[in-house]
Amino acid sequence: MRLSVAAAISHGRVYRRLGLSPRSRLDLLRNLVTALVRHERIETPWARADEMRGYAERLIDYAKRGDKDERAMRMADFWLTEKDLIHKLFKVLAPRFQPHPGGYTRLLQIPNRDGLDRAKMAVIELKGNPLPPLVRPRRDSDKTLLNQLLKGYRQDAQRAAAA
Amino acid sequence: RVSSDGKPPKFQPPPKPVIIDRKTQKEERRFLSPEFIPPRGRTDPLKYYIERKDMIQRRKVFNIPEFYVGHVLAVTTADPYASDKSKRFVGICIQRGGKGLGATFVLRNVIEDQGVEICYELYSPRIQAIEVLKLEKRLDENLMYLRDALPEYSTFDVNMKPVPRMEHEEIPVNKLQVRMKPKPWSKRWERPKYNIKGIKFELPEHKMKAAQKWSQPWLEFDMLREYDTSKIEEKIRKELSEELEK
Repeated sequence: MRLSVAAAISHGRVYRRLGLSPRSRLDLLRNLVTALVRHERIETPWARADEMRGYAERLIDYAKRGDKDERAMRMADFWLTEKDLIHKLFKVLAPRFQPHPGGYTRLLQIPNRDGLDRAKMAVIELKGNPLPPLVRPRRDSDKTLLNQLLKGYRQDAQRAAAA
Repeated sequence: RVSSDGKPPKFQPPPKPVIIDRKTQKEERRFLSPEFIPPRGRTDPLKYYIERKDMIQRRKVFNIPEFYVGHVLAVTTADPYASDKSKRFVGICIQRGGKGLGATFVLRNVIEDQGVEICYELYSPRIQAIEVLKLEKRLDENLMYLRDALPEYSTFDVNMKPVPRMEHEEIPVNKLQVRMKPKPWSKRWERPKYNIKGIKFELPEHKMKAAQKWSQPWLEFDMLREYDTSKIEEKIRKELSEELEK
């Protein structure tokens, strides 16, 4: 009886088991969501960031309903432990993400943690944050095939124009 | 009027007629049978689309009326061993389960002091007729606790006449609180996970308080568990109305 393989199969379960209990898992994620709303970019283990992403995006969807909505206010009250962030959520983040239908966060992996556990770390940030960008989009180098062909086309066009 | 000073009284226009648009009111209360709504999961939506086509095909041939949990229904099924080749069963619908073509509903009745529950499949070709005898919704979506309630709450006359009902009226909600047999029950209905509002609990206070120990108040705030079906329902309603008009 190979128990180890059977123990690893979860058959369609989507929620990871974090912390000590389901209540503890929600509290952990709640702290992370509060930190994300406060600092707009945090560095945590990848599993926690991945779990937290769904909750953060749904919280912003609730905030988009407006602060007059009773349910939205109750959700914000539960999920943000620091109550000054409720104002930030409804007045700053909701208008910022109003034109976007979804995908308000960006999750990028970082080198493993330095401590003994060597945990897989990630940085999760809200898009449109005022901090300097993490990834600079690099232009393709001049040596790629497409760029060489375009360069040749441009040279031909110049020669034809000069002649 | 006498109080005007010599001039004829000011023309009062007649009050504008209030137009109650019956058509828009009808459309607001459209019922979508719960088995059409696909469950959350990783299955291919093609499967549900094909099932829906078959369900619509069956509905064109056989009329499945709108009913909820708590209605009293009479179902006639085909039976090769009965003298009339058909069997009729009257009961209260306690549960509607399953999605797609395998949708079922359980009818319960107490016949000669024996509780009988029969689970019928809505789209089974053996079913010859479904009549709704009494329309009333209850406080819960699942009336499985009637098994542990006093038998008088599950007895319905087999030869009951259908209660007449006006079209396009709100379905009445029966706020009946059912009295239970003494414990033990098949499930611990007093626990908050079942969230039953239709039982008159005659348990002592300390037992009710002890049952609250199993409540999970954080579940209400767990946003990822919510399944918003409004957009899916709109699409399915449009699809259904288009197909059934053909």
